Amino acid sequence: MIDYLGKLKNRSRPNGGFSVLPNGEDRPDATAWAAIILAASDSESGLLNPAWSRLAATQLRDGRVSIAPDHPDAFWPTPLAILAWEPSPDHQRHQSRAVQFLLQTSGKHWAKNPQSPLRHDPSLKGWPWIDQTHSWVETTALAMIALHLVGHEGHPRLEEAAKMLLDRQLPRGGWNYGNTIVFGQELRPSPEDTGAALSALAGRVPQTFVSRSLDYLMAETPKLRTPIALGWSLLGLAGWEKAPVQAEDWIMETLHREGRFGGYDTPSLCLLLAPLFAPRGLKELPRRGKNLETAAAQA
Amino acid sequence: MAFRITTRDGWTRREFLLATLAGGALAVSGASLFRWLSLPYPYSQTFIGRVDSYGSDLRSIISLGLRELGVSSAEVKGKRILLKPNLVETHEGTDHINTHPLVVRGAVEAFLSLGAERVYVGEGPGHRRDTLDVLEESGLGEVLFEDRIPFINLNYEEGKTIPNQGRQTRLATLTFPKIFQEIDWIVSVAKLKTHHWTGATLSMKNLFGAMPGIYYGWPKNVLHQAGIHNSILDITATLQPHFAIVDGIVGMEGDGPIMGTPVSMGTIVMGRNLPAVDATCCRTMGIDPYKIRYLQKADGWLGPIHESSIQQRGELITAVQKPFSLVPTIPSHRGIRLL
Repeated sequence: MIDYLGKLKNRSRPNGGFSVLPNGEDRPDATAWAAIILAASDSESGLLNPAWSRLAATQLRDGRVSIAPDHPDAFWPTPLAILAWEPSPDHQRHQSRAVQFLLQTSGKHWAKNPQSPLRHDPSLKGWPWIDQTHSWVETTALAMIALHLVGHEGHPRLEEAAKMLLDRQLPRGGWNYGNTIVFGQELRPSPEDTGAALSALAGRVPQTFVSRSLDYLMAETPKLRTPIALGWSLLGLAGWEKAPVQAEDWIMETLHREGRFGGYDTPSLCLLLAPLFAPRGLKELPRRGKNLETAAAQA
Repeated sequence: MAFRITTRDGWTRREFLLATLAGGALAVSGASLFRWLSLPYPYSQTFIGRVDSYGSDLRSIISLGLRELGVSSAEVKGKRILLKPNLVETHEGTDHINTHPLVVRGAVEAFLSLGAERVYVGEGPGHRRDTLDVLEESGLGEVLFEDRIPFINLNYEEGKTIPNQGRQTRLATLTFPKIFQEIDWIVSVAKLKTHHWTGATLSMKNLFGAMPGIYYGWPKNVLHQAGIHNSILDITATLQPHFAIVDGIVGMEGDGPIMGTPVSMGTIVMGRNLPAVDATCCRTMGIDPYKIRYLQKADGWLGPIHESSIQQRGELITAVQKPFSLVPTIPSHRGIRLL
């Protein structure tokens, strides 16, 4: 695993940000994920402060952190930045602005129409990937996790977002990107969305509300060997204290398959490593980090 | 370079007319001749290959189609080609949701045998964030790994923003994967399916997967918000893909593009012009292309969709036609049956 952390560190760019792939330009989602994993694995890393500062430099005046300067509408990396800044006392102002942005922002919503072919309740607010579009599962889950981490767990937006996620849960269990029943047919779940939603709902709702989803994910996770699906699945199960004992083995197997795909991008690599540092789920990622040996011993 | 400014269809008008008249394959009425000469895309050709199963020699069928459509070694040699399959979701034991991996392999081999410098496969699924999981579960990952064909995850590619050439939506610009600048030919390798929002999803709708999720979200919600039909037109008009191959060996009828049922169609449909290919596919499915809004709007602008404007190579439409079941409760399926 140390090799992979080294690989991650090598993606640090001179401006402090992290690139998506080796030698590329930095991108906010890659920088945020790298900072989250570095803070958890090596809190003394000299790469952390430049990464936090680079994220701060990309933040827009209203607090959002977008995927690129020419795509301010694509503000989905904002909750990742909130998570990344959490251990940094010097970036609390930036974190607060990002939090305020999230609290004041939602997706596009409208009243439920009984004639609609879409069964879910589109009036329940969450967060979108892109401004002026509907709210979806993963973005809402990430925003909830970030807002919870900074102490907003009782905020009405989180209450509504939890309702929204429960409304988007598939009747047979699990979540997909965010549609449930369309033209009378129940859609299929995906592990990454289920893991993200379960991460966000852990500690907020009784287990009976999500038991079918947990069953789905526990059955699905042993088959997964790709970073995003496995990473989110393990985080989701960990949040409900159901992390499989083989989790580390599966992560290592997935890391070893990297060459098959020509290398993992930074966000995927970090998401895959995250369960090693968050044995109780993403909400419990250490605020001040801990050294690699301690984390590895706990994993 | 994939972003083309001028539009053409591979053949000159004169070449096409001479070939058509010499082959006697198409009865040319005065009215349709006038139509050909007065529209920017007055004619095109599509090829229908009959294929028994995915175990057939798909490379030979695709090579035959390329040859019939005038795609020569001289044209392909040294080119970097991107195949864009349709990978949406996977469900154990299903052949009717995604472009079959063996069709992709057949296309890779066909283009390499014509001398392509490199063939890439790229996709950005609209529903799944974990593209690699879809790649693996669909079986395409194994095929690409065995054949050492590079895969490009289009959802996460850095973007290149260019003016929207279609201007059918409010979107002034479109952001495509930057790597498209390094590609000479983009080939839409789509699946033959019905679609509950658009009636049918074929080579043009398949292009939604070319738009990076990091800028358009999952499920490419910016495009849905801007209007699906018009977004299809904008993307096709701006990207101007060079070729289309539609996997109709097993298609999907009913509530496509995910929840429908498989239908053994036994075809591969190919062509240089995407609206023409999609119109031919519709006819094989027993769907009137003029009732598919984006095709109706594309007619005479992005390509011809009238049957008399499309020279048919390979099998005749009537020889393979199989009316796909439609769902009366789905508005986009109502009234689209070919009469």
